[in-house]
Amino acid sequence: MKNIIRALRAERGWSQQELADKLDVSRQSVNAIETGKYDPSLPLAFAIARLFGRSLEELFDDGTSLADAAE
Amino acid sequence: MAQSKGFKTANRRYLQAFWPLMAVYVGTVAVTSFFIDMDTASTAVRVASAAATTLPLAGVLWVIMRLIGETDEYTRLRQLTAMARGGAISAALATFVGFLQIYGAVDTVPVFFLGPCFFLAYGFSYGAACFGKSV
Repeated sequence: MKNIIRALRAERGWSQQELADKLDVSRQSVNAIETGKYDPSLPLAFAIARLFGRSLEELFDDGTSLADAAE
Repeated sequence: MAQSKGFKTANRRYLQAFWPLMAVYVGTVAVTSFFIDMDTASTAVRVASAAATTLPLAGVLWVIMRLIGETDEYTRLRQLTAMARGGAISAALATFVGFLQIYGAVDTVPVFFLGPCFFLAYGFSYGAACFGKSV
């Protein structure tokens, strides 16, 4: 799933390790999420959203618009 | 499954248990190898020696399972994937060696090697996941 976590992290000048420490996950987890190789669970996704002060929809894009999903 | 404690806490708890258990294992192997003559020891001593050597390794397996329960979700996925691959490789190898024995191609192979085979395959699988493509 595409996301803007790498961009938000870069805005704040955090390394992957620093973000991993804030979320209490491994650096490899952050890398896998940023590159779209791994989709986080809802609790972790909410933790990331809270950390960046964004909504889940702002952070993640599954390629389906809300209008498409409603059909 | 245990409540996740986060990557750092889970890792610290794992290492705090892993190294003492390995020290006990090495010590037990040393004692049973150098101080007990298995050729003349009673069956009870042999069984006790085998159990004493196995217990620390069983403990290591338990702390690995605890780590899997307590660590973050992505590390848990990678650990479980590596463990499944290790188990599959070990089972395939054991089946192959078993048929070699049944068909008389090789003499009896000690079942002891199954454990190290699993840990090797598990370790390589986890290492490959760390340095190669993510699962």
